[in-house]
Amino acid sequence: MELILRQLPIVINALNEGFVQTLKLFSITLLGAFPLGLLIAFGSLSRIRLISFVTKFIIWIIRGTPLMIQLLIVYYFPGLVLHKPIWGGGESGRFLAASIAFIINYSCYFSEIYRGGIQSVPVGQQEAGLVLGMTKWQIFTHVTLLQMIKRIVPPISNEIITLVKDTALARIIALQEVIWAGQAFMKGSHGISGAIWPLFFTAFYYLVFNGIVTVMLAWFERKLDYFR
Amino acid sequence: MAILEVKNIRKSFGNIEVLKGIDFSLEEGQVLSIIGSSGSGKTTLLRCLNFLETPDAGEIIVKGETLFNSADPTTKSESQIRQKRLHFGLVFQSFNLFPQYTALENVLLAPKLTGKNNLEGRAKELFEQIGLADRMNNYPHQLSGGQQQRVAIARALILQPDILCFDEPTSALDPELTGEVLKVIRKLSESNMTMIIVTHEMEFARDVASHVIFMDGGEICEQGEPKELFANPKKERTRQFLAHY
Repeated sequence: MELILRQLPIVINALNEGFVQTLKLFSITLLGAFPLGLLIAFGSLSRIRLISFVTKFIIWIIRGTPLMIQLLIVYYFPGLVLHKPIWGGGESGRFLAASIAFIINYSCYFSEIYRGGIQSVPVGQQEAGLVLGMTKWQIFTHVTLLQMIKRIVPPISNEIITLVKDTALARIIALQEVIWAGQAFMKGSHGISGAIWPLFFTAFYYLVFNGIVTVMLAWFERKLDYFR
Repeated sequence: MAILEVKNIRKSFGNIEVLKGIDFSLEEGQVLSIIGSSGSGKTTLLRCLNFLETPDAGEIIVKGETLFNSADPTTKSESQIRQKRLHFGLVFQSFNLFPQYTALENVLLAPKLTGKNNLEGRAKELFEQIGLADRMNNYPHQLSGGQQQRVAIARALILQPDILCFDEPTSALDPELTGEVLKVIRKLSESNMTMIIVTHEMEFARDVASHVIFMDGGEICEQGEPKELFANPKKERTRQFLAHY
């Protein structure tokens, strides 16, 4: 116990550094996947059969395979084919590859939630917009969108909370996120080796952060309570 | 000259022919009631007039301008339709107010989006007219069904349609609330608004309408002056239908 207390400040410092990387991956995934997911949702809702078929096929591939494999493929496959790495070396290259894999993966999940949200808005809303002379785009942005957002907050919240924990998968391409930082103390890092407790301790980071995320999402949900 | 001429409108969904050639015309200031049992094609006819459905055949002419002609593909382009449908207003059975906007915002949204600003004054007049001046900052879910439907009427009126259509405007309302909606429609008829009302309120149709069409099986079975049609229906089918009321 005394040993742990002595190691604690060093470990926390290292884990904080790792957690910054976790947070960066989390944020960039949301920033990318929110809009891309909407685009994919439009694709799967398209009345042009080819577009909706291709979109649904891509969604099937992405949702049907593990994110961990997708990370490995995005990171290593281009190098295998082109015989030179495209992501650049080091941590920034790993981060770029991880971001792309996460954004693609999460936008597919988001797109299905968006699609459900859009389809659950009564068709009468769109018809009311049409007979009032609005364009389809105006109807989407001024009528449908907010109603859709209100409906998808609970399922999207689930995905966001899963994403916080899924960032740990980037460990597979050695992205130096919080799990990586915790695990490093087993092999040896910052003068500490053979310690497994820092790895267990990383769970605390996820737990606290998800607590904050949950409170923020609940606040957002309440913000939209003013209409039904 | 007739404000509206409808010629030989036909519409099928799959193998089911819902409208089998509808012809009628309407003079300015006239109130037309369309009655008939469910599935007779009344609502589809209204939806065709408002371009929510595209007829398979026929013509729609408003004030001498051909808005739709099945033989002329240029009358089917989407951007043109958006302009043309503004000749008509439509009030839905289920109101379809936008829930995230207040009553006033519901009325002003479409004008704002189409570049018609400075209609706040006009909107407030309309709220006076429908008797909801004190409720215009409420959200739809804070209003009763009858109040919501009156807001929907104001929302249609602010765009100044030539012809205002009602699709069973009171069918989703408690009997207690139908009166306030019918009162507003009645006032509109007194101010010479041209209207087409699909309704199951026979008494109302008899009082307010200047012309009644009885539809059956996708065709106009009988039409005429309301007093005459309700008192002495000529067709057996009309008699059967009216016997239910």
